[in-house]
Formats: sequence, C-alpha cells, structure tokens
Amino acid sequence: MIARTLRMSGGIGIWLAVVWLALGLALPWLVFPRLAADIVIWALFAVALDLLLGYAGLLSFGHAMFWGASSYLCGILIVRAHWSFVPAVLGGILAAVIIAAIVGAVSIRRQGIYFAMITLAFAQLVFFFANQFKDFTGAENGLQGVPRPWLFGLPVNDDRAFYYIALAFAVLGVAFALRVVHSPFGQVLTAIRENEPRAISLGYASNLYKFGAFVLSAALSGLAGSLYVIAHGFTSLDTVQWQTSGQVVIMTVLGGMGTIFGPMFGAALYLLINDRLSTLTNSPGFVMGALFIVVVSLFRRGIVGELIHLFTRKKPAA
Amino acid sequence: MDLSLLALQLFNGLVSGAFYALLSLGLAIIFGMMRIVNFAHGAMYMLGAFGAYMAAQYLHLPFWGALIIAPLAVGLLGMAFERTLIRRLTSLDPLYNLLLTFGLTLVIEEGMKQFFGMQGTPYSVPSQLQGAVNLGVTFYPTYRLFIIVFSALVCLAVWLAIERTPLGAKIRAATENPPLVQAFGINTSRLATLTFGFGVALAALAGVLAAPTTSVTPAMGSDIIITTFAVVVIGGMGSIGGSIITGFIVGLVAAIGAMVYPPVANTGVFILMALVLLVRPAGLFGVLERRSI
Amino acid sequence: MQRLSRFIMLALGAGVLLFASSYPATQASADDTIKIAVMNDQSKVYADLDGQGGVSAVRMAVQDYGGAVLGKSIKVLSVDHQNDPALASTKAHELFESLGASVIIGLPTSSVSLAVSAVGAADHKLVIVVGGATDDLTMSKCNKYTFHYGYDTYALAQNTGKRVTEAGGKRWYMITANYAFGESMLRNFTAAVQQAGGSVIHNDYVPLGNTDFSTYLLQAQAMRPDVIGLMNAGGDTINSMKQINEFGLQKRGIKVGVGLLFDSDVSSLGPDYWNGATITIGSYWNLDDKTRAFADRYKAKTGKRPTWIQIADYSAAYQYLDAVNRAKSIDANAVVKALEGYHFEDLFARHAYIRAQDHLLIHDMYVADVKPASAVTIPWDFFKIVKTVPGEQAYRPLSQVTCKM
Repeated sequence: MIARTLRMSGGIGIWLAVVWLALGLALPWLVFPRLAADIVIWALFAVALDLLLGYAGLLSFGHAMFWGASSYLCGILIVRAHWSFVPAVLGGILAAVIIAAIVGAVSIRRQGIYFAMITLAFAQLVFFFANQFKDFTGAENGLQGVPRPWLFGLPVNDDRAFYYIALAFAVLGVAFALRVVHSPFGQVLTAIRENEPRAISLGYASNLYKFGAFVLSAALSGLAGSLYVIAHGFTSLDTVQWQTSGQVVIMTVLGGMGTIFGPMFGAALYLLINDRLSTLTNSPGFVMGALFIVVVSLFRRGIVGELIHLFTRKKPAA
Repeated sequence: MDLSLLALQLFNGLVSGAFYALLSLGLAIIFGMMRIVNFAHGAMYMLGAFGAYMAAQYLHLPFWGALIIAPLAVGLLGMAFERTLIRRLTSLDPLYNLLLTFGLTLVIEEGMKQFFGMQGTPYSVPSQLQGAVNLGVTFYPTYRLFIIVFSALVCLAVWLAIERTPLGAKIRAATENPPLVQAFGINTSRLATLTFGFGVALAALAGVLAAPTTSVTPAMGSDIIITTFAVVVIGGMGSIGGSIITGFIVGLVAAIGAMVYPPVANTGVFILMALVLLVRPAGLFGVLERRSI
Repeated sequence: MQRLSRFIMLALGAGVLLFASSYPATQASADDTIKIAVMNDQSKVYADLDGQGGVSAVRMAVQDYGGAVLGKSIKVLSVDHQNDPALASTKAHELFESLGASVIIGLPTSSVSLAVSAVGAADHKLVIVVGGATDDLTMSKCNKYTFHYGYDTYALAQNTGKRVTEAGGKRWYMITANYAFGESMLRNFTAAVQQAGGSVIHNDYVPLGNTDFSTYLLQAQAMRPDVIGLMNAGGDTINSMKQINEFGLQKRGIKVGVGLLFDSDVSSLGPDYWNGATITIGSYWNLDDKTRAFADRYKAKTGKRPTWIQIADYSAAYQYLDAVNRAKSIDANAVVKALEGYHFEDLFARHAYIRAQDHLLIHDMYVADVKPASAVTIPWDFFKIVKTVPGEQAYRPLSQVTCKM
C-alpha cells in the first residue's frame, strides 16, 4: 500500500516522503520526546479530520468524541482487561467506529452548518456519558495510571522507543489516508464536495460516500486517541470536550485543508507554538485564536495550502 | 410527588428556557438574515454580563441602566466585527464564518481572562427585585420571575417586529432574496450589519439578565453556547418564532428531567436533540435546506 | 503542478525540521541553577486563589532567601495545569526530566496533586502540595517524595464540621464537587459531623465547574436540613453561595457549612453574601505584624492582598530552600531527610513541624468568621479570627495515620 502510494506520487513524491520521514525520525532528538509523540499523534488526528473536511467537505465540530472515546476504551482495556498494545488500540478504534456509525446514520443527511452543529451536540452527549460512568472513566479525576502495554511481547517504556512506535502507527495511518484520497472512493468524495447534485445525477449515492468518509475519519481518529492514552498513561474528560474538537479544527485549517500534509504541519506548529508560549505568556489561547482569525480571514487555504497556491497558480496570459 | 417542588422546578425550567429563547432568537435572526452561525454568540452574552458589571463599577449605573447600555455597547461591537471581519467571508461557504467566529470566541474569552481573572466578579440582584414572591404553592425568587416575564416580553416584541412591521418585512425579504431587495433600493449590506448588531445585542441582554444569578466569568459564554446550538438544531435554524418556543420548551423539559435525574439538567438538551433528529430531521419548526442546484 | 506542490510540502517539511532543531529540547545546566517549578491553575476555576499570585509569592521567597543557595542561583518556573491531571502529569515529567526542576510547589486541585505526586515518586523528585486538599496525599496515596503543606480535608472537617454541628447544625445536606477533592471532603466531613452527634441526610454529586445549583438547592429546601454543607471550592462555592442567597435559604433557617474558603472567594461575591460563615483557614494576611509586613510587600508587587494559600506558597518555597541548604544538596533523598521532623516557625507556619511518618505539615490552624461588609474597614480584611487551634488538635493524630512509605 505504501509502495503504491509512493509510486503514484511520482519522483518528487518519494523525496517528499523521505524528508518527512527523516523529520519524523529526528524529532525526538530535537524536542522533548513526549512532546514529539504528542505532535505525531495530533498530526494523525488532524489528518483524520482533513479526510472529512478537506476531501468530503464536511466540517465536524465534534471529532473529540472519537478521539476521547477511543482513548477511554483503549485505556480501560489496558487497565482492567490487561490487553496488550495492538488489541487495545483496535478496541479503541472500534469504539470510535461504532460511535461514528450511530452519529453518522442520524446526521449525514444534513448539510454543512447543520452537520457541524449536530456533531458538536453529539460530542457533548459522549462527554456526558464519560462523566456518568465514573467507575470506568474516573470522570473528573480522569483515567489514571494506565501502564504501558507490551507490544508483541516486548515492553516499550522508554520515551524515545515509544515515540518510534507511535511514529510507525502514524505513518501507517497517514499512508492509509493518502491511499483513500487517491483511490476511486476518494475521487468520488472530491466530486461530491465540489458539486454534490452533479455527483448524484451521475448515479453516486452521495450520502453513502459521505458516511464512509465519516467512519474512516473516525477510525483514524480512534487510532490517534488510542495512541494518546498509551503515550500519556492517562486520559481525562478534556479529550471529549468541545474545545478539543475546536483544537483539531484549528490545526487542520491552519495547516491547510485538503492537503493531508498541511494538517500535519498545522498540528506541529500549534503544539510547538503552544509549548513555547506557555512559558512566555500567560495566554497561548489568545495568540492561537488571533492567528487562527488571521488565517481564516486572509489565508483561507491554510499555510501549506496558500504556499502551494502561490507557487502553482497559472499565470494569466500576457 | 411534592407539588411545591414540581412548581419550583417548572419555574426554574422557565428561567433557563428564557435564556435559551433569547440566545437562540439572536442566533436565528443572524442565521436567517446572513446565513452565519455566530459561534461568538456566547462570548457576546458574556460581554453583556461583564458590561453590566463594568457599568456598575465605573459608570455607577444600576441594573436598569446596564440593561440598556450593555446591549447597545455589545451591539456596536458586533457591528464593528461584522464590517471588518465577517463581511469578508459572507460570500463564501458559511463554514468559514463559523470558523472565524470560533476564533473570535477564543480571542475574546482569553482577552477577558487576562483582565478579569477566572473567578468572576460580583454582581447583585437589583434592590427592587430582591426577595421572594409567594406563589401559593411555594416561594420563588422575585428576580427569577422577572427574568421569565421580561424575556418573554422581549421575545414577543422582536417576533412582532419581524413578522408584522415594514422593517421586519424588509429583513425577511432580504433573507430570501438579497439581490431583488437591493434592486428595490434597500441597502442590504447596512441591513446585514444592523441585523448582526441586533442579534448580538440580544445575547448581551441575556448576559445582563444572567449577571445577578450566575457567576460572571469569562467562561460563562462557552458553557452556554453549545447548549444553545442544540436548542437551535431542535427548533430548526431558520424559524424565529420556532426558536423562541423551542427555547422555553427545552428549558422546561430539561428541568423536569433533572428532577428525576439531576445530571440531566445539563445534558437533557442533547438527548432531546438526538431524539428530535430521529423523528424530525429538520427540527421541530424547520424546513429541510434545499440543495441549490 | 503536482510536482511543484509536492516540492513545497517538501520544503515545508525541511523548514519544520530547522525550526524544531532551534528548539532547546533539553535545558542542560542543571548544575549551575536550581529550578523551582510552581504549578497551579492559572486559567480556570481556581485561578484566583493561587494562580499567578502564588508564583509571585514564590518569587518573593526566593528573593528573600537571597536568590541563591549552595552557591547556585535560583530560577522559578511557572506552569499552568488547567486543572487537568493528564496535562499536569505530562508537564511534571517534562519539568523533572528535561527542564531540570528539582521541586514542584503548589498544585491546587486534588486530582492534579495526586497525579503529580505519583510523577514525583516515579522520577524521585520532590513535590510539595500546598493548594491541594485531599488527605489521600498523606494516607492511601502517600509516598516518600511528597509533602502536604498547608491544610487538608481532615483539618477542615474536624474544625468547621464539628464546630457547626455542635452549634446546632445536626442534619446536614451535602453538595459535593464530583472529583477527588469533593470526595475527600465528603468523607472527612461526614465522619466529623457524626462524631459531633450529627448526621448526613443526603448528598448530591455535582460536576466540577457547574454553574446552576438551583435544582440541588430546591431539593435541599424540601428536605429541611439544619445545614447545607458545601463540599466544593473556588468558583463552585461562589456560585452555590450566590444562589443560596437568591433562594433566601438562610432566611428560612438553614445554615451553610462552607467547607473551604479563600480571601479571593469573599472578594468575588462581597462579604455580605457569606453571612458570617465560619471557616477554617491556615493563615491570614492580617493576622499579626509578620503577616502584615509580607502582605504589604506582596501588595506593592501585585496590587492585591495575598490569599492564605499564597502565603503558604511563600513559606513552602522558603522552607524548601532552607532544607536544601541544611542538606547541602538538591538530591531529593537528602532534602527529604532534612525536612522530616523539622521544627520551625515562619510567617505562615506557627509552632510547626513536618511529621516524618506521613510528610504532613503540622501547624496552627485558625477558625474564622467572615465579617459583614460594614465591619470591613481595611480593604480585603474579610476574616475575623475566632480561635487558634494548635496543630496537634487540628490535624489527624499520629495514631490514625495509615501511611507506609
């Protein structure tokens, strides 16, 4: 799958992959390993959102429900059922997929704004349930003390070692996203995003495609969320709050929707700036919010998107 | 079941319903007119509450003065936002304005946190409205009754203005067909600015009403905006009258649910929303958006 | 076009690499500066009782100590934990492992203090909990590297709970914040109330940060307790009290037992809202000349009077530095030894010593009433000390300590 994606991208595509991979490999030596792991995990989450936002054209303001629910279930499976790494992660993904199936079934028929608000509201419901099942989730106290599970029979306690595991999973996830985007399924999604009535008139069941994109996006988010709880040994109600949904939207839009690499860049930028700022100022939120306003107003395609646009737009004929 | 307890809860429900109604009315007006989902609506509500506090602190204005000044000030602020930021994105997918107003919310909230801290500022019930009223079955705080009555009157007045006056007709027409209305010589862009200002002024009014009973903190807007969105989804986004009625109904239902199971007070709205969506996808009073060909 | 766009993404990737490489990942020089980290809530419900003011207090302590110890200069790092245990835990690891902090001070919000205490135990670094209240820190969750400095839920319950019950408040209706702190308060207050001959007739668990208490208060009204016990803090207590006033519950003869109160809480609502509530505090800025002198300097620096937690922050930081000096090392094990059993007296801690068995600071506590607004002649002078309770009586006796390190 990865090979095919690379082949499809052409020569420069391979260089692209090489540089980003090098970056990924070098990251834990450049920044604090836990922060590096966070960057990679959030980058995956942002890519998951981009699949839905940039390619299917649907803004979900409730993606925290997938990220959070998967982190909780994965964490619970590790702490209570003593599952190991991969089965627990799969459990987390399953949680996200089930929620997506339910929510999607009810909301996918709605358009743009409505869809965004409905996902927001459903995410609140998930928050409510997480808060209610205190015995499992710890509610306000959070799910604490999640030991790091063994991967294929080996412990992964060292922060740097764990980072590379997380990187591997993230690469798989991103490669999967790229594969989807360049597949016939992905192309239909793009067609639906650009002109849904036409796509329908061509015979495509647009709602089904959108539903598929929603579930796939949720699954990738679930992967990211599971990695999150394993990375931190914790998860808390923070992960299912709407501010988290907003955060990943900021990352994706900041980087550039519809570019896959843009959101990853956006995630890295957001986390690095936030980390730097929180020691300098008291209010990284203010700066991020202001930056976001500037990007949405002026650089709508996001940083990566705008740069691409800048260098690739056709010059008008003289 | 204890009758007095039930009566008290019903009134509590009407109070929260009053806030939902005022807020979703403002949202519905802005959305109906401009197709903008104003995520910053909660922040405007918060600014209204702080406006009341600041009016008391610095202008030594009592509650009644604040009730006029704060919405006016926030309305003007809203108009400024509309002209400078929001207008640029109106021609695009409404998603962009949702994102923009989301960014605005962050900036406003964080900014207020820097100035006022998190714990809230004191604001007391105006002396004329202190104490409780004997309702026969039970006692109920006078001020809360005032909230119910005042909000209902404001909602009614706004509804009448939109449905029955010439200005309202212009607004409704501009909602349906802006170019045609412009052809009649009506300045739709000015109308849009005024509408936005009015919508957020309503939110600020709700904020002033809330200041005596809730903690005035920078986060108070965030707490309520999400619930308000759910109310709007339940009611159907375009309908003015629908948003008012839905606001009160949701407040009542959530309060009664809370009697049975207290955590429902906060979350009942979302459960209700899920149920309504299953039965009536367009919301109780809404019409399914037709896709434009 | 695709080639070019990919080239750009490639360039950006390289750019991020360069940017990240400019980022100091490990701040070495753990040798030439000693770093004290102050971690508390700087943006959410508990931001005013400790927050930035607590950081200022610690900075003052460092300054008063001379700015250096063992020949090395001292640096104060400030971190916002936003009441999130997961975030706090990550930051704590970062502070200990990569930023070279040798101690974390502060930590209001009991769930966060527990999480960071665990990090301290894992990383073998000192954690001094000043703001966090749960007695779990010195009982079921105690460990060698954690010190509980300031107050705890046991002390609050024994003093406030018993006093209010003995004054006629036999039947209690509890409103409890649904997390570690609230649970600990409920447990301790229930025990204290029962010991004094009272009983808890009902308890409501309320989400942290909840703003509308009307449902719970109405139910309380219907049950006619003698006392409504507020097992919450900060913004939650303020909201509860505001609405209790609104519903006129006190006029109907129901007393209010405020579990935990700070000067900032009173300032936030105004003294009259608290109707002379009786509370337990660890110190007070207007207690005597020593505290007043500190409060004047604090006011010159921050413009406000310190809450009693901020005074405790100052003391904790100062005593830490002194312990480092006595131990002649910043190694956690050595400093722990220097602190255990140490008797001292400073502006916050009177007749104080750090109990070796559970690392609890035993010191005088004070029972105080909130003054009515008419009696507040000096700004911020909200409390009237009614009784001084010696540490031995205020805190859990040694015989009941179950901590095993």
